Amino acid sequence: MSRSDHFDAIVAGGGHNGLTAACYMARAGMRVLVVEKNDWLGGAAVSRELHAGWTYSNCSYVCSLLRPEVVRDLDLPQHGLQVIPYTGGATFTRDGDYFAYHSDHRALEREIARLSPRDVEGYERFSIAVMRQCRFIRPLLLRTPPDPVAPRPRDVAELVYLLRRFHDLGPRETGEAMRFWTASVGDYLDGFIENPLIKAHLAGSGIIGTGLGVYSPGTAYVLLHHYMGDVDGAVGAWGFARGGMGAVSGALARAFRAAGGEVVTCSGVERILVENGRVTGVALANGDTYRAPVVASGMDVKRTFLGHVEAQHLPDDFLKAVRRFKIRGSSGKINIALDAMPRFPAAPEDASFLSGDLHVSESLAELERAYDDWSVGRWSAEPYVDMLIPSRIDPTMAPPGKHMMTVFVQYAPYDPERDGRRDPAHWDEAARTAFADAVLDRIERVSPGFRDLVLHAEVRTPVDLEREVGLTEGNIFQGELTFDQLLFNRPVPGYADYRTPVKGLYLVGSSAHPGGGVMAAPGANAAREILRDARRLDRTERAFRAA
Amino acid sequence: MAFDHNRRPRAVVIGAGVNGLAAAATLAARGVDVTVVERGRGPGGMMTGAGQGELGHFVWNLHPAALAELGLGAADLGLGAEVATVLLAADGRHVVIEGEAISFADGTPHPDAAAYRALRARLARFAAVLAPLATAAPPRLGSGMLNRAGLSDLAQLARTGLGLRRLPRDARREFLRVLLSNAADLVRDELPDGPLAASLVFDAILGGRAAPGAPGTVLALLWRHAGGGRRRPAGGMAALARRIAGAAEARGVTIRYDATAAGIEVEGDRVRGLRLGSGEVIAAEMVLSSLGAMPTLRLAGPAHFDAEACRRIRGLRCEGTTARLDLRLAEMPRIEGLDGRLAGARLLLAPSVAAIEAACRPVKYGAIPASPVAEVLIEPGDGGAEGPAHLSALVQHVPYAPECGWTEAAREALAAAVIGALGTHMPGLPGLVTESRLATPRDIETMTGAPGGHWHHAELAADQMLTLRPVNGMARYASSLPGLWFCGAGAHPGGDITGLPGRNAALAAAADLGQGVTR
Ligand SMILES: Cc1cc2nc3c(=O)[nH]c(=O)nc-3n(C[C@H](O)[C@H](O)[C@H](O)COP(=O)(O)OP(=O)(O)OC[C@H]3O[C@@H](n4cnc5c(N)ncnc54)[C@H](O)[C@@H]3O)c2cc1C
Ligand SMILES: Cc1cc2nc3c(=O)[nH]c(=O)nc-3n(C[C@H](O)[C@H](O)[C@H](O)COP(=O)(O)OP(=O)(O)OC[C@H]3O[C@@H](n4cnc5c(N)ncnc54)[C@H](O)[C@@H]3O)c2cc1C
Repeated sequence: MSRSDHFDAIVAGGGHNGLTAACYMARAGMRVLVVEKNDWLGGAAVSRELHAGWTYSNCSYVCSLLRPEVVRDLDLPQHGLQVIPYTGGATFTRDGDYFAYHSDHRALEREIARLSPRDVEGYERFSIAVMRQCRFIRPLLLRTPPDPVAPRPRDVAELVYLLRRFHDLGPRETGEAMRFWTASVGDYLDGFIENPLIKAHLAGSGIIGTGLGVYSPGTAYVLLHHYMGDVDGAVGAWGFARGGMGAVSGALARAFRAAGGEVVTCSGVERILVENGRVTGVALANGDTYRAPVVASGMDVKRTFLGHVEAQHLPDDFLKAVRRFKIRGSSGKINIALDAMPRFPAAPEDASFLSGDLHVSESLAELERAYDDWSVGRWSAEPYVDMLIPSRIDPTMAPPGKHMMTVFVQYAPYDPERDGRRDPAHWDEAARTAFADAVLDRIERVSPGFRDLVLHAEVRTPVDLEREVGLTEGNIFQGELTFDQLLFNRPVPGYADYRTPVKGLYLVGSSAHPGGGVMAAPGANAAREILRDARRLDRTERAFRAA
Repeated sequence: MAFDHNRRPRAVVIGAGVNGLAAAATLAARGVDVTVVERGRGPGGMMTGAGQGELGHFVWNLHPAALAELGLGAADLGLGAEVATVLLAADGRHVVIEGEAISFADGTPHPDAAAYRALRARLARFAAVLAPLATAAPPRLGSGMLNRAGLSDLAQLARTGLGLRRLPRDARREFLRVLLSNAADLVRDELPDGPLAASLVFDAILGGRAAPGAPGTVLALLWRHAGGGRRRPAGGMAALARRIAGAAEARGVTIRYDATAAGIEVEGDRVRGLRLGSGEVIAAEMVLSSLGAMPTLRLAGPAHFDAEACRRIRGLRCEGTTARLDLRLAEMPRIEGLDGRLAGARLLLAPSVAAIEAACRPVKYGAIPASPVAEVLIEPGDGGAEGPAHLSALVQHVPYAPECGWTEAAREALAAAVIGALGTHMPGLPGLVTESRLATPRDIETMTGAPGGHWHHAELAADQMLTLRPVNGMARYASSLPGLWFCGAGAHPGGDITGLPGRNAALAAAADLGQGVTR
């Protein structure tokens, strides 16, 4: 491959969205370079061996949101991606009870009836209501949000499309959609379900990655954000990528290279070069410079514009909007190498739901307290944990007989409070240990002997996520998913179409619509806009349609 | 409809609060024979604790459209001048807001005054965009828009859209961004945290349960800012309530006090009248209820509503969070540097946004806040400025049903927390208290019948606003039982002393009677 330093497009940041955009562009015949600061690709979708013999999905850990259209377009299965669904999950209480979720309808009904017969019908209504919202939103994921304020003809068509969809819903359902979009997950669930444990189990999806509590308006939408995916067409289902979440990025990277794409790792973009309001290339930390008329940033909007573009090239209003973009970190993670399968005495031996998402929770009030801790700068004393043991289904994750557990923790602050001051530097060794203890002790309570099984644990705070993945403040979605930062408001009103004030510079990461998660939608949508501007759309459409 | 057109149609309005009275006057002005039944001894509802004294402090949005129906002009209300706001600061550097002037108590200009004024101006402009939505039923959305009845909604939406289009492009974008965002971030993006920032956030959370960081609180703030400055009625809320009741009577409305609605009479799936506690039945073609949705449903009987409607009404969030503390004081308290400026001012005990956030947390767990925030009004008694005085505080966020119950100890703890916090600014305050009376949300419910004692009869959050208020499917004032209408704060656009829910509901009801034209 020629080492010339001129390209048709450069992707700054090799996260899964950057790679997705890169694939579409390469397939449309562009000469594309991906620049990644780490010596591995994938950003928050990676698999890493940090303890010999164990594979950690050390950021994202489960797969569902990945758009099937992208998987098909880019032939990801041929490039090695395999997603294995899991079929259950459970929430354990401290006093030895549990609620088990089953994707099998009959089994779930029996379980709900065991805890609360009256909730069988309520759950039925709940799942119908949520599925209806999913059906409404899914088609929007792969569309560029229209600009309602200064619409161009294309936006008008898109607005009409949206209005027509509301019209088809009818007044009652439009009202329900509005309620859903503005309600808190707690209030929403209160309308369907009585049992506190079932509610606590279901509410978790409304707070993951979010600086809001179960009773904060807007969290019902976050729940939706976790329900709108699918595995093999089963909407709402989740699965493991075989080999860890790095398998998604790995397949994308292979698809990219197969289309002739080039990759530079181990050196980050220092500066995005701009001349006369046009992007001209990137300068790397190691001193290398690459030129291209198109630069696609996979970094979040704050890192891109506050870190790597000189302010003189940006309008003040835009900069102000970028500065106030809300990107609070609220999550931590612990990845654990286990000597054996932990025991959960409450659950039947070898219950299949142990292969799914496991939690320790009592009630919505307890989850709300966990949020209150965070909002004053503490990690939750009783955190919400989302733990999975992928090695039960995917033997590549740990040596035979051993297990790998991923524990997602909500909430952990970016800048812990100490003596009335908040500072990321407060995440010292002592704080990290205390945080990990809070989590491990919580697990120990429902799985006695758990701590003795721990061979190695990787503790990840929001500060670690920021340092390693570049996620500003460690926000896992590259920006909060509140309504002021969704659709035409994401990431900055007036710039929701992946374009920026700098000609040729595009945002392709999760800071853009439709937001975070291993979804590949921002990358795919942005690529479509880039190719449209490059007048290669006809070829893209072919690329998009490629079987 | 089979009405006897030889006699005037008859309506009964339940409740003589501001909205019941506005509804009654609106109907009477259209030739309807209206009786208002009120359980309490006097008019005013939540303004006056149903004629028992006073709950409210100020008026800022008693709407001209409602006043017009009552035949009142703003000048007839006996409202005083716009009051000054005094922000009590933790460090003793209190801030005084008088109209556009913002300074510290010692007269030095406030460094954030310009930023504050700019933000207020922006909010006022945005509030003006929403204003047309408040004076009509919420627009039908979805397919309802395309039939003939929906055309007026489209016109209303168009007016709102027009207001939006009049804004410069950047302001339009900003409007659509902040509409459903949270007040804490909006304010803190422009102002450093402190009393000035807190004063705006306080407007967003007063009377509700939402915390400042809750998405949707900006919408609540914008409704509030649609009105003008705060004014105190001469003679207090009781006098204002009497003026409004008098105006309704002048329109020909009959008001019956000490008359409790006990049941709505239904025949053949239509309202036929109202039964009182005494057993008396007032026959009427329509009943307009200014009570909350749940008490209204109970009066009619759930059998007249479908299961979904019952579920929605039962699911309404309506636990109040505002308590009122009244203190009789031996003399006017003093705050250094504010002598002579305390009486009649609006004092805010909310030193920072963070303090408001902290005051919002305990209520979630049924606990009484250790450091509540409050709006305080101190008025000299009859003895003049040096004589005895009266202090009242609207205290947030107080649980409706505390975990420990409203025991005497719980009541004392709350009163002590408020007096203690005020005492840090008014030395000697505890010693001045000669009498103390607390109305918890539960007490307010008992007094006025408002569900949960809630300021707005039901939380004014984005998922309970506009077409979702009081509940999806009944947001245009008509309940699903023909002849029964919602006309209180629980209906669109919500509470505060505005008269709009009552006036809008009556217009809808009159149009239904076909009386809309006989003015
Ligand atoms: C702990 C955690 C758990 C999660 N769990 C899940 C989950 O289970 N399921 C799910 O669907 N989603 C999950 N998410 C969310 C999801 O992983 C992310 O939203 C998504 O991976 C973001 O992808 P992206 O490509 O948009 O951005 P990123 O992955 O953030 O990619 C940005 C890339 O840019 C690189 N970069 C940064 N600065 C520079 C520079 N100066 N020069 C060059 N490169 C640079 C970074 O190294 C990174 O590779 C999780 C996220 C986290 C952090
Ligand atoms: C403590 C407190 C302070 C407030 N301060 C202010 C303020 O300073 N400024 C402001 O603008 N707003 C204030 N508000 C809010 C405002 O008072 C209300 O939103 C508004 O008055 C509601 O008016 P309404 O007519 O809809 O209902 P209400 O005022 O509640 O009227 C309902 C009426 O129905 C009567 N009733 C109940 N049950 C029956 C029955 N079965 N039969 C017959 N009658 C019945 C009640 O006695 C009552 O009179 C305050 C609220 C509270 C709780």
